[in-house]
Amino acid sequence: MDRIAIVAGIRTPFCKMGTSFNNLSAQELGRIAAREVIERQELDVKLIDEVIFGCVGQPAEAANIARVVALLAGVPKTTPAVTVHRNCASGIEAVVNAAIKIRAGEGSVFLTGGTESMSNIPFFLSKQYQEILTGISRAKTLPEKLQGFAKIRPHHFLSPRIGLQLGLTDPVCGLNMGQTAEVLAKEFGITRRQQDEFALGSHQKAIAGRAVLREEMVPVIPGPKYKEAVIDDNGPREGQTMEALAKLKPFFERGTGTVTAGNSSQITDGACALLVASELRAKVLGMKPLGYIRSFAFAGVEPNRMGIGPAHAIPMALKKAGMKLSDVQAFEINEAFAAQVLACLRALSSEKFAKDFGYEGHTGDIDPAKLNINGGAIALGHPVGTSGARLILTMLKHLNRNNLNCGVVSLCVGGGQGAAVVLER
Amino acid sequence: MSVFYKEESGIGFITFDQPDSKVNVLSAATLVSFDKILDDLKNKSLKALVIQSAKKDIFIAGADIKEIETITEENDAKSKAQAGQQVMNKLEDLPFPTVAVIDGAALGGGCELALACRYRVMTFNDKIRMGLPEVNLGFVPGFGGTWRLPRLVGLQQGLKMIVSGAPINPQAAFKCGLVDRLYPAVGLSERVREFVEQIAAEPGQRIFKPPVLKGLAGFLDQNPLGQSMVYKKTIESVQKATKGFYPAPLRAVDVIRKTKYLPREQALDIESSAFAQLAITPTSKNLVKVFYLAEKYKKLSVPGTEGIKPAGVVKAGVIGAGVMGGGIAQLLSNRGVWTRLKDINQEAIAKGLAAAYDIYAQAVKRRKAKPYEVAAKMAMITGTVDYTGFSDADIVIEAVVENLDIKKKVFTQTSQLVGPKTILASNTSSLPVTEMARVSKDPTKVIGFHFFNPVHRMPLIEIITTEFTSPQTLVATVEFAKKLGKTPVVVKDAPGFLVNRILLAYINEAGRILDEGGSIEQIDGFATRFGLPMGPFTLSDEVGLDVGVKVLHVLEAGLGPRFKPSQIFDDIGPKKLLGKKSGKGFYIHGRQRVVNEEVQSLIKSRNRASEQEAVERMIYIMVNEAAMILQEKVVDGPDAVDIGMIMGTGFPPFRGGLLRYADTVGIDGLVDSLEKYEARFQDGRFKPCSYILELKKNGKRFYS
Repeated sequence: MDRIAIVAGIRTPFCKMGTSFNNLSAQELGRIAAREVIERQELDVKLIDEVIFGCVGQPAEAANIARVVALLAGVPKTTPAVTVHRNCASGIEAVVNAAIKIRAGEGSVFLTGGTESMSNIPFFLSKQYQEILTGISRAKTLPEKLQGFAKIRPHHFLSPRIGLQLGLTDPVCGLNMGQTAEVLAKEFGITRRQQDEFALGSHQKAIAGRAVLREEMVPVIPGPKYKEAVIDDNGPREGQTMEALAKLKPFFERGTGTVTAGNSSQITDGACALLVASELRAKVLGMKPLGYIRSFAFAGVEPNRMGIGPAHAIPMALKKAGMKLSDVQAFEINEAFAAQVLACLRALSSEKFAKDFGYEGHTGDIDPAKLNINGGAIALGHPVGTSGARLILTMLKHLNRNNLNCGVVSLCVGGGQGAAVVLER
Repeated sequence: MSVFYKEESGIGFITFDQPDSKVNVLSAATLVSFDKILDDLKNKSLKALVIQSAKKDIFIAGADIKEIETITEENDAKSKAQAGQQVMNKLEDLPFPTVAVIDGAALGGGCELALACRYRVMTFNDKIRMGLPEVNLGFVPGFGGTWRLPRLVGLQQGLKMIVSGAPINPQAAFKCGLVDRLYPAVGLSERVREFVEQIAAEPGQRIFKPPVLKGLAGFLDQNPLGQSMVYKKTIESVQKATKGFYPAPLRAVDVIRKTKYLPREQALDIESSAFAQLAITPTSKNLVKVFYLAEKYKKLSVPGTEGIKPAGVVKAGVIGAGVMGGGIAQLLSNRGVWTRLKDINQEAIAKGLAAAYDIYAQAVKRRKAKPYEVAAKMAMITGTVDYTGFSDADIVIEAVVENLDIKKKVFTQTSQLVGPKTILASNTSSLPVTEMARVSKDPTKVIGFHFFNPVHRMPLIEIITTEFTSPQTLVATVEFAKKLGKTPVVVKDAPGFLVNRILLAYINEAGRILDEGGSIEQIDGFATRFGLPMGPFTLSDEVGLDVGVKVLHVLEAGLGPRFKPSQIFDDIGPKKLLGKKSGKGFYIHGRQRVVNEEVQSLIKSRNRASEQEAVERMIYIMVNEAAMILQEKVVDGPDAVDIGMIMGTGFPPFRGGLLRYADTVGIDGLVDSLEKYEARFQDGRFKPCSYILELKKNGKRFYS
């Protein structure tokens, strides 16, 4: 059967919120990655059937950001574009969406990816203040207007609602994402030390993997100053120690908690673009794909345990692929929180878990040496809409570099989902 | 016949449709036919008279410039203007409403005809330009425009349009009240009929009133004190811009000021006198010639290549992200060309991007561009340190350091990895393109594409062909230059090409005059008083002394000792006085520019050339060099020299161009002067070249 090929991919470096990419919009980051794929692939843009991009915090000024990215990147105006949103798995959703469309015969070449500028997620005014301002703009006479202005109080503009915070809070269970990680830490008895050790490992692997990670990046020279090129992720900390991690206070549950800023993913800006095509079409066009999608799966879980998603999505995807967990040579599980990744590993190791959910034969122990080889979101950062695409790119580069055949990428998804993709060469 | 009349349901229609032409112009004959139709209409009772054009994107392009060009007598000029004014008056005095329907360019006389109508309606056609550009040709509008336009759109707007000569687009025309309505071009005739019905319903009064100016704008427009401020400011800015070399804009201000409150007959008399006096001046004649010249080169086609239809340039590679490379990337992206900017490291690319962005940032500051447009245009430039993205480029422009060995390496390497369609262009200012072609895989694809600095402002591109360059490559490159909005001039590969060779003859001669005991400031003053935009030493500081001397050496090696750098260039070379970029050169470039006494004090001789001598030596040595260029067939004629010098160096248009100016001086006088200086210096540099001697022998001129 004609497989789905990931032909090529490029990402920007990932930069912590408010640092080097502070002035770059999500659409600008997206177009940098998308354009670079086109340039390096020397791709005839007329071949692209559609552009599909994921983005979680879509900028108000770039509605359907995929279309904006497409036009800025030089994709013809006559080529359609759609933005997809599956929260933290939006980047995967873009790729999977392309795969489904190719299967359905709705095109054969798709420019996909994810983009996120968490530096530029806006603050919102309170509903009350909004109503006052609307009233003023509708007022016809000067006294009416003045009456409106008289209603304004300092708290209206001194305490805006912070978009980022709203996005990271589950509206159904009311918990912040960090609090959902605390739920899992308690459930699985994961200690602070275990989480910090995991976090330390992520930084160490990312630092050691600098040169390797550069292979998947395009240097970015951020405007408007265009002063110098950003060539590396700025999240990984060279001198990270257990002592420094231990000093941090639990962020989400004062006193009793175990989840800190140090063992959680970083809030980050970045974009990643992937060129997806049918295997046949790629062959006809003389492309040399990085690898292929073997299967994918999405799972729903309780919103307050959203971090457990990968423990469900991975066996589901393996089942579809007809594979055992032990067949997989490398894993990328997004490090939203150390506690959440560790919880997933424990669940996957548990026979009871496999039995309870009917995953027998598709779960097992994951060798830490095969997991997140070049570090994960705790060190590299987690630009939410981008991470899914980044994991696929990182995995495919890893498989190619080490001549491996099969890898799995997976993410937990805010709102209570898991996503997983089985990749092969 | 080029004017037609018909009547339909009580509405009269006059249609301008000049046979065998893409445009309508108001020639004397056309005016006569138009006048006859108006005479026949005088006693009719029409609902309205509609005046329209049958040409695409043209209403009336103006009066016939060829007719004005041939006028030599003031009386003749005046009576021609008056004849036109009378026709416009007749149109204005018709007893029924008149409507000009403008769906294309309405310039000069065409604009004035529309102004004499009671109403003007226009379409949203973005090809439309409406205005009075007469001052660009050295005279003032002569068919009543100076009187009618300020009355319609207000004093400030009217002055601005007439004095700058810059036409405006439909949105601006509607905003200032120049037109009463904007309609979509689709369904225009129905909209016009509806408009006519509307105005016919209220006979005798103008139902659409132009916007009334309030506040400060109103004060400046209507209050005598405000008006005198407006006149004063306008005169000041005109004087600053024209430096007294172009009398027409000032005269236009004068005419408007005198006629603002005069009745029509007296006002138009003043206008036609001003027109007549200006239209016969040499300045105007030269400007008309330069206008033709610029039009010719804007639409340049290479003779004998009519059958070649090149594919356009969609994507370009630029090698070298320095000042030129960054400027080129900016220009390309601004004109919608995808640009891959290559340099050896990210720092260099960052500088190139910053240079490009700076130009856009200035445009935003001057409100010539919006930030979102800049973001989209900057997005068209991407950087690379390898050659990825080059193989599908339509053209690659090399702008690396001016070093032949490096350039040859770049051409060897690049020519191997680009696609078969890719043109390889060098932005060299003086190095032999032929050498670069020789080392390239396909020499027929190699061409010179010489931009002038700053790229976004200088309108000229020298296109340098070698013996290998194919006609396809040449045509594609010429078309590309035009797409970039530049004026191309085609030059054969020879040392210094066209412009730099002539220009350096001038700068070097200025250096010699300085050596003999001249003063930096005085010599620069002589040049600017002649009309050049900058004196030779100011120019040298702008370009950079190292660059200038480098080119002089290239010229000396290729053309002989007449290009041996004058003493002063040799003396200050080692002192690192490079000019503006190092802060010091012939001048010290601080907050205020002052002469660098360190350089002036190097001059020990005390032989100060007179202004006449200095100007003659600086200009005539250029003429002699240009004649040698013609003799060597580096370019195809005097036109190319003149457009090159005007667009490439700002040689004053009112002089008509370098060789046009030489013709004004006269070949005999020119040869006499050259021989006089040759006798004095006896080093061959003023020896009249055989091309000039040939002209003299045959009693010919450069243009004959």
